[in-house]
Amino acid sequence: MLMDLLGGATNVLAPQIFLLITLGVAVGIVFGAVPGLTAVMAIALSLPMTYGLDPAAGISLLVALFVGATSGALISAILLKIPGTPSSVATTFDGAPMMENGEGAKALGLGIVFSFFGTVLSIAALIFIAPWLATVALTFGPHEYFAIAIFSLTLIATLSTGSMVKGIFSGIAGFAISTVGIAPVEAIQRFTFDQVELNAGFSILTVLVGLFAIAEVIKVAEGARSISAEDMKAPSVGRIKGFGFSVPEGLSQIPNAIRSAFVGIGIGILPGIGAGTSNIIAYVLAKKRSKTPEKFGTGHPEGVVASETANNAGIGGAMIPLLTLGIPGDAVTAILLGGFMIHGIQPGPMLFITQGELVYTVFAALMLSAVMMLVLEFFGLRIFIRLLAVPKHILLPIILVLCAVGAFGLSSRIFDIWTILGFGVLGYAFVKAGIPAAPFIIGFVLGPMAETNFRRGLQLSNGDALGFFTNPISGAFLTIAILSVAWQTVSTIRASKRQRAVLAIEDELPKRQRPSAAQRAKP
Amino acid sequence: MTATRAKELVTGIAMLGIGLVYLFMTMELPDRGTVDAATIPYVLAFGMVLLGLLQCISVFRGPMPAPTDREDPPLTKDEVLSVDSRRESYVVVALTLALVALYTALLRPIGFPFATAAYLFLQFWLLTPKDTKPPFGLYALIAGVASGAIFLLFRYAFDLLLPAGPLTPYLP
Repeated sequence: MLMDLLGGATNVLAPQIFLLITLGVAVGIVFGAVPGLTAVMAIALSLPMTYGLDPAAGISLLVALFVGATSGALISAILLKIPGTPSSVATTFDGAPMMENGEGAKALGLGIVFSFFGTVLSIAALIFIAPWLATVALTFGPHEYFAIAIFSLTLIATLSTGSMVKGIFSGIAGFAISTVGIAPVEAIQRFTFDQVELNAGFSILTVLVGLFAIAEVIKVAEGARSISAEDMKAPSVGRIKGFGFSVPEGLSQIPNAIRSAFVGIGIGILPGIGAGTSNIIAYVLAKKRSKTPEKFGTGHPEGVVASETANNAGIGGAMIPLLTLGIPGDAVTAILLGGFMIHGIQPGPMLFITQGELVYTVFAALMLSAVMMLVLEFFGLRIFIRLLAVPKHILLPIILVLCAVGAFGLSSRIFDIWTILGFGVLGYAFVKAGIPAAPFIIGFVLGPMAETNFRRGLQLSNGDALGFFTNPISGAFLTIAILSVAWQTVSTIRASKRQRAVLAIEDELPKRQRPSAAQRAKP
Repeated sequence: MTATRAKELVTGIAMLGIGLVYLFMTMELPDRGTVDAATIPYVLAFGMVLLGLLQCISVFRGPMPAPTDREDPPLTKDEVLSVDSRRESYVVVALTLALVALYTALLRPIGFPFATAAYLFLQFWLLTPKDTKPPFGLYALIAGVASGAIFLLFRYAFDLLLPAGPLTPYLP
């Protein structure tokens, strides 16, 4: 393994890849920092640039963008009180008060250093767990893959959203969209309306770019005209010395950081509940285990450390199922999967055998990206802060044009630009209806995997569907999937009954004694 | 019915509608009577229809809204302004979508450089905040430079032949 890692390190230290990683991290930080721009957008926009690169260089650029964007979100979370991406929501809880208390530089320093810490720990976990898991996954057949796909789909649909019905619908709708094109096994055309362009189905990239990037542009367009000139000013953090905190202060955070990193890695491995959730769980855990929980929310460094360590630790965690099973855990890893496929690489257990060198190059690229993130955020913080003031009404149309170029570049077809526009409108409708988009993407990606393996599994067990339950691994995954849906259904019904009972009691009270909506909203 | 409930009901009806459309399309697929290419689409279609129904039912069976929300009070002056601004926002969204559609339709006939420059200029103008006077000269400059730079970068550095339209005969 050490020799493989050294080989990977040699590859990424080549001038071309080194430069691409530096550029990727810098662009990623900007996309993470500017609210409205996302890691998905950063990767989607850069994909056409990787067409002409060899796989190692192209994938290194994409993972660098991933690392940069995940960390960059802390800048706006602390300075503007707006998390650049959902992965830094909990950073605002204490980061923003620290900024108000004149400790902005310290909050940024802690966030940057512990983002690095979380990333490095998660990459170490990735390096040790992924090859082992890939070896185990080599023994998997259609039954296991079908069960894992169903397990991932149900987990995403039930855990990634407030409304289980909408979450599951989103996952099924994504699965349904993936059925467009040539069907597996029989190879007959489904839902193509005799359009040649639809024979191969929709490209994952057009779906992702439309649903996340274009929908985001439309969403921002909705409020663009009401932005005041005051909102566009860059914030000031004053003088920054070193990382803004002392060595003993940093060392005192290590136990909190290790705990948060484990939370981030663990949650990152599970499909669907990535950095957007892990930062909040790590924050809550840090508060529970803290000697001074009352200080949380008032500008406590422990809160920033917990959130930033956990969200960056999700990077390595999310790469584990992607590389070993070919299963993306969220939209960012789904688009990374698209990036791999563009270069003719199919992630999965065979990747470690057929493309071992590339796998270790990806590990090394992640590690170098983490180092570059630390360096760039330390030396270039003022530049990134200034970029927060770039007007959205200038930036977003240019991003839309780049999305269109990316879509066109897939097959040189205008049809793909229409597709991203269509999925953009769908994504905007999802936002308006409160339907989460992440299950849609996972349904779209895992759908063909589930269907193909379902058909193959049936063929192997002579048409007997019980084979999926009698196989120990697939049986276990399917049982957990059923239990997960059942548990979530019971929880939803109980919560609904409880709320109805409370409101019925309130109805009995004289009008004066009824709690207001604001009082009811308080936990 | 409160606005939230109406929105949830519309969402439920849309979910049901999508499920039904998908079901009717699935019924057009060749049926072999066993597990075939139509099996999974049928499962998905019935799943979407069921979830659409559940969403619609939940609107009526779900917890009643808070007493203060049960009747919509008359709108205040600020709320009237907010309704106006929301309407304006939706107009901006509709115009943005129309602009992007027009841009996509014109990409081949007039070429990427011209279509992009025109789209960017109009989109900058459309999204300019209300309290800012649009600097048309600067917008035209950014639109022209961005369009040209993207076209040349992708054509000559990344070998991606974006449609050049009337410029095609003049390009190397």
